[in-house]
Amino acid sequence: MRNKLAPLLAAALVFAALALPAVANAAPQPPKRVVALTPFAANTLAKLGVTPVAIGQTLGGAERFSPKLKNVTELPLSHPNGPNLEQLASLNPDLVFSSQTWAKGNQAMDELGIDVVVHDPRSVAGAFADTFKIGTIMGRKHYARDLLQQQRKEVEAAEQGIEKRPKVMLILGVGRTPFTFLPNSWGGDIVTRAGGKLLTGGVTSNSGFERISDEVVVAENPDIIIAVPHANEDDIPSLTEYLRSNPAWSSTKAAQSGRVYISVDNSLLQAGTDIARTIRKVRRAYLKN
Amino acid sequence: MARRAIVFAALVAALLAAVVCSLAFGAVKVPISEVIDIIFGNGGSPTDVQIVETLRLPRTVEAMLVGAALGVAGAILQGALGNPLASPDVIGVTGGAGFGAILIIILLPGSIALLPLTALAFGLLAAALVFAFAWTGRNRGSVGKVVLAGIAMLSLFTAGTTGLLAAFPERAPSAIFFIAGGLTSSGWRDLETVWPYFLAGFLVVLFLIRPLDRLALGDDVAASLGSRPQAIRLGAGIAAALLAAASAAIAGLLGFLGLVVPHVVRMAGGTSSHTYVVPASAIGGAALLAGADTLARTLRAPIEMPVGPFMVILGVPLFLWLLRKAV
Repeated sequence: MRNKLAPLLAAALVFAALALPAVANAAPQPPKRVVALTPFAANTLAKLGVTPVAIGQTLGGAERFSPKLKNVTELPLSHPNGPNLEQLASLNPDLVFSSQTWAKGNQAMDELGIDVVVHDPRSVAGAFADTFKIGTIMGRKHYARDLLQQQRKEVEAAEQGIEKRPKVMLILGVGRTPFTFLPNSWGGDIVTRAGGKLLTGGVTSNSGFERISDEVVVAENPDIIIAVPHANEDDIPSLTEYLRSNPAWSSTKAAQSGRVYISVDNSLLQAGTDIARTIRKVRRAYLKN
Repeated sequence: MARRAIVFAALVAALLAAVVCSLAFGAVKVPISEVIDIIFGNGGSPTDVQIVETLRLPRTVEAMLVGAALGVAGAILQGALGNPLASPDVIGVTGGAGFGAILIIILLPGSIALLPLTALAFGLLAAALVFAFAWTGRNRGSVGKVVLAGIAMLSLFTAGTTGLLAAFPERAPSAIFFIAGGLTSSGWRDLETVWPYFLAGFLVVLFLIRPLDRLALGDDVAASLGSRPQAIRLGAGIAAALLAAASAAIAGLLGFLGLVVPHVVRMAGGTSSHTYVVPASAIGGAALLAGADTLARTLRAPIEMPVGPFMVILGVPLFLWLLRKAV
């Protein structure tokens, strides 16, 4: 019996020795040439020690990028495709981290044979999940785990010691019909974590934003109004005055007590990797809690 | 005559109903008895007083004024150009006002307080360019030339608007309501800025009603009766430009109203006489916009939706029904 099994075992060992490297070679390799169209993906890659071949930059945008990405090629983004597809293809990327904003472009990239994944979180929990997913895709699960542990600790510390929970109306855009951030938006989640009670009029929306009636603003009477208007630092005084004197809002506690603020960076609009810093800034500069 | 009186009565009733609904309903429930007390200065809770006096009342007045202005602008343009497809779009006002507003929203957000004036200025500029091209060279002042110059100007300004929106997509949400058309709760602020343009537009229209009726007989007949067809067309164009640009400054782009309302009142009244069509279009336009705005802000309250689609929902079935009967 032993004599009969020996050749079989030997054959199996030889087969395993030959087959294993082949199996190992077949395992997916992390992409080498990566393009990050969102600041979240770009900064997460930088924190994981990966330098993308290009990052996206919207015209007039105020995206905050890690200093590690200083010399990385910038791809101008415009609606509806996002990057210029010829420019993108010339970079020969293995993978593009994109956003739903460029849905049409994502489809076109896919048709060009470029792999696209969408990671543009709208909540802090979503940012944590996406950080780990990006780490996994890039073969840096271990670094992603360390980064997540550090981020979670920092966020918990930033949320500590909240003494007041003021009612906050957080609005997107300028004009006479601004949209209100809802809890399922990035800014809404940040303000809630910073201790604010979001004024929403009980509205929910998949988009995370909705135009709500000024009658609700008068009735709910927010303590604080924060506007995210896509404007420049120089515009802050005139915009603050415009919002404060809005007939619909001028009698609110926010306007009466001079607590109408303008946030001109994108920290409340787009997911970032410096989450704890953003929460601390909201608490210190706006909520004062 | 009796038919016109019935149509007038129906339009006035519709306007009254729309105004009452506009004042009585909103995202916040205010009892109708309290609304009446507030309107007649008999008090109410401070919050309700502010909602009715600062938000609903000015908005209702704006809806009536803008609806009337667009209805009249469409009526006189259709009469002056002898073209059933004429509306404020045709003389470039809508395209120009849209471009002016988007320019502020996208490129100069810090100057947002200037939005109504910029929309007004660009609307009037577009109309002035249309008149300048249409009233120079051969066939000056001809209907074809006015319409073609208007379409060219509309295309030019629309291209500029689209280009700005495509270049700054993240800023586009702020522009959606202006483009889709909608009233806001900005108190009396916007009206304080643009009321002289409404007044000037309506005054010019008063002097055009009879000349427009003569023009309807044809240029030659009108000339033989002592009228000057080109001057009437220019006057109608200027009045329509003032009314439509002032409307766009307050309520964004609401092209549909100016096109459809005059046809509806013409078909319902069975006459094209401007002594009937112009005031009936004013009342019909006011009723339609006040009603549509009430729907836009109450149907999914407290979410506010653009008023444009609601005007179409309210106006098109009636328009198609009358069109079927007329044909």
